[in-house]
Amino acid sequence: MTLQECYQALDGNYDDVLGRLRSERLVQKFVLKFLDDKSYELLCSSMEAENWQEAFRASHTIKGMCQNLSFTRLQQSSSNLTESLRNGWTPEAVPLLDQVKQDYQQAAAAIGELKASLGL
Amino acid sequence: MVVDDSEMNRSILADMLGDEYDIAEAENGKEAVTILQMHREEYSLVLLDIVMPEMDGFGVLEIMKENGWIQDLPVIMISAESGSAHVERPYELGVTDFISRPFDALIVHRRVVNTIFLYTKQKNLENLVAEQIYEKEKQSSLMIEILGHIVEFRNGESGQHVRSVRVITELLLEQLAQKADCYNLDWNRISMITTASALHDIGKIAIPEEILNKPGRLTKEEFDTMKTHSQIGANMLEELPFYQDEEMVKVAYEICRWHHERYDGKGYPDGLKGDDIPISAQVVSVADVYDALTSERAYKGKIPHEKAMEMILNGECGSFSPLLLECLTDISPTLKKGVNAGNLIQSNHREREHAAREMLHYRELTASERTLHLLEHERMKYVFFAALTKDIQFEYTTTPPMVTLTGWGAEKLGLEEIVMDPLNDPRVKALAKEEDWQKILRAIRSATPKNPMITQDLRLNFDNEQRWFQVIIKTTWTQDEPPLYTGFIGKAMDIHDSRVKLNNLEQMATHDSLTGLVNHASAKKQITERIALRPDSKYALAIFDLDFFKQANDNYGHLFGDRLLIYIAEKALQSIRSSDIAVRVGGDEFLIFFEYQQELEPVVKRIYGSLTGQFENFQISISMGIAESEVVGTDYEEMFHAADQALYSVKRSGKGRYRFYNASLSEMLSAISNIEGGDREAAIRYNKLKEGH
Repeated sequence: MTLQECYQALDGNYDDVLGRLRSERLVQKFVLKFLDDKSYELLCSSMEAENWQEAFRASHTIKGMCQNLSFTRLQQSSSNLTESLRNGWTPEAVPLLDQVKQDYQQAAAAIGELKASLGL
Repeated sequence: MVVDDSEMNRSILADMLGDEYDIAEAENGKEAVTILQMHREEYSLVLLDIVMPEMDGFGVLEIMKENGWIQDLPVIMISAESGSAHVERPYELGVTDFISRPFDALIVHRRVVNTIFLYTKQKNLENLVAEQIYEKEKQSSLMIEILGHIVEFRNGESGQHVRSVRVITELLLEQLAQKADCYNLDWNRISMITTASALHDIGKIAIPEEILNKPGRLTKEEFDTMKTHSQIGANMLEELPFYQDEEMVKVAYEICRWHHERYDGKGYPDGLKGDDIPISAQVVSVADVYDALTSERAYKGKIPHEKAMEMILNGECGSFSPLLLECLTDISPTLKKGVNAGNLIQSNHREREHAAREMLHYRELTASERTLHLLEHERMKYVFFAALTKDIQFEYTTTPPMVTLTGWGAEKLGLEEIVMDPLNDPRVKALAKEEDWQKILRAIRSATPKNPMITQDLRLNFDNEQRWFQVIIKTTWTQDEPPLYTGFIGKAMDIHDSRVKLNNLEQMATHDSLTGLVNHASAKKQITERIALRPDSKYALAIFDLDFFKQANDNYGHLFGDRLLIYIAEKALQSIRSSDIAVRVGGDEFLIFFEYQQELEPVVKRIYGSLTGQFENFQISISMGIAESEVVGTDYEEMFHAADQALYSVKRSGKGRYRFYNASLSEMLSAISNIEGGDREAAIRYNKLKEGH
């Protein structure tokens, strides 16, 4: 799987990220780094523990990373979740979290495949 | 320094800038502040995220502003938020620029370079201005010094005296400025007096050389001539054709004329006393005496520092202000080391720093100070009026979610003046009922920039009791297109007393005070409303009174009569449903109005049965007339009249039973003789109060 195919698989915008970061090497480096970030785990555990403030921050961080990486799909869902948690819990947060989980899994799977084909 | 809680975001920025700059990273606000506290001067720029754990970007900015770091260390905000609300606050806190996510390598690079370049340029400018001021100052003080030296050359002195007096004067003045406010010694004035001190002896130019340079003691005449130098110097300055209004000339005049005056009035030429002698002249006289003692002169040798100090403090050289002598003692260690050119250079350096700083900030300073004054004034007004009205005033911002309360209100509600995330704060939630909060929040959500006002009554836990408040809220919006909701301001007014009063009056006006039943005055309104709800239903209106009530009163007293009426009222209420209406028409006459489904007679029978019986020793007997809407229609007056006629016919025909109205009774007279609204007064008051609102 190429980097470009990976972006297709996770519904991202490859042209956009390349335009901004200006080097395929950098894009690949950060895509591979994406799964190392612990914000997703923090988001899930904070939602579980009903710590909405922490969940808001974690969701905000995921959104920021996705913006930088042009992970369009996950960016959209994490952005929606962030807004729903901005002033504390709202009922919308529940379905939005499910959407984030689904999109994150999709991205994680695509990145995993990319890693495999790079022999990592 | 890159401050961001996401490792990836930090490393993207580090990668973009790492070729040209050394990058340090901090993963939250607290870490950043800790690093800045220790090694601030090592950094040329901070890239700062807003949303972070521990301490967010605003917290960092506030600390940087408070400590003045932001003046030397530019900050660029990294932000995914747009809209002026998110931009305004950082700018107010001193942020130079923004980089929004997603990062674009070119933009990040350009912004960073620009900002660092701008700050470097400003630093250079600052130095440049300082340099120019220094040059200018140097030139003018040079001219003054040359003038002073001319006198000294004539005097056969080395020229060291003018310089020494100058340094001692400055040291004394700086000491004095710390000790006393009354002389208005800002750095500007200190510098002026110091410079002018060089001219203190210019009058000596008119003193004959034989006297000026005479070794040994002067005769009385010679000394008198010598003494004229202070007046002559002053005259020379006074006769200057130009610059009479220059502060420098005025100060120089004071010094020339009065630098031989003494604090006890025994000096010359005018014999001024105490603080009548300008402080400039006082300081120069001390400096002059000290330097004269410790230098070699034609008529005397050098006196060591300790001895000179002793002589001056003992008053051997005339009296000086005690405060000045204190200052002289304070600077004694410096004087002992010797007054030389080194001190002078240092003092010039100090001056130029002052000047440059002041000049650069002058414009900015006045603008922001005025704004601050205005703000302070507004704040004072706000606090004053808030305290006066006993309203709870509040302000809510969405980012960060935070409510600010006036001090008084916060105290009474048991909250702090600032409550973060109030909508999730259990103490805030406990202030009012959940449904009341929801009502207000719904109203706020449906407010628009065109209709920003909300008014809502609710009960608050206030000062440990439940009280009614009226809340008036104005939602606030940005100037953007479309406007964004930013929060609200508002106040809660205590309307508890007037509301309770209104409720009481309403109760009094519409109810009978003895039995608590609805009174006749409001019965019509209530019954008419009830009929209007379901005009097609079947209704009955029954009027009844107590037979032999007069005898009951006569036999057992009026108190018994009252108890009897209360008992009947209770029975009446018990015999009907809560949706039916029981009325005390007046005296011993009552009215019951109810809706029925099938047969009327059994219902009437049951009610009638429950009313009659034994009350203490009194056998209750009831006469009752009933009108049906099916017979007379649903008009209240018609029903009332018909029931009244039915009752009348019962009364006429032996009492103690009930009867339904029919057309045969239409010629009957009325049973109800005197329907006096017992609570007429209350009704009038209530109506007035309502109209007043």
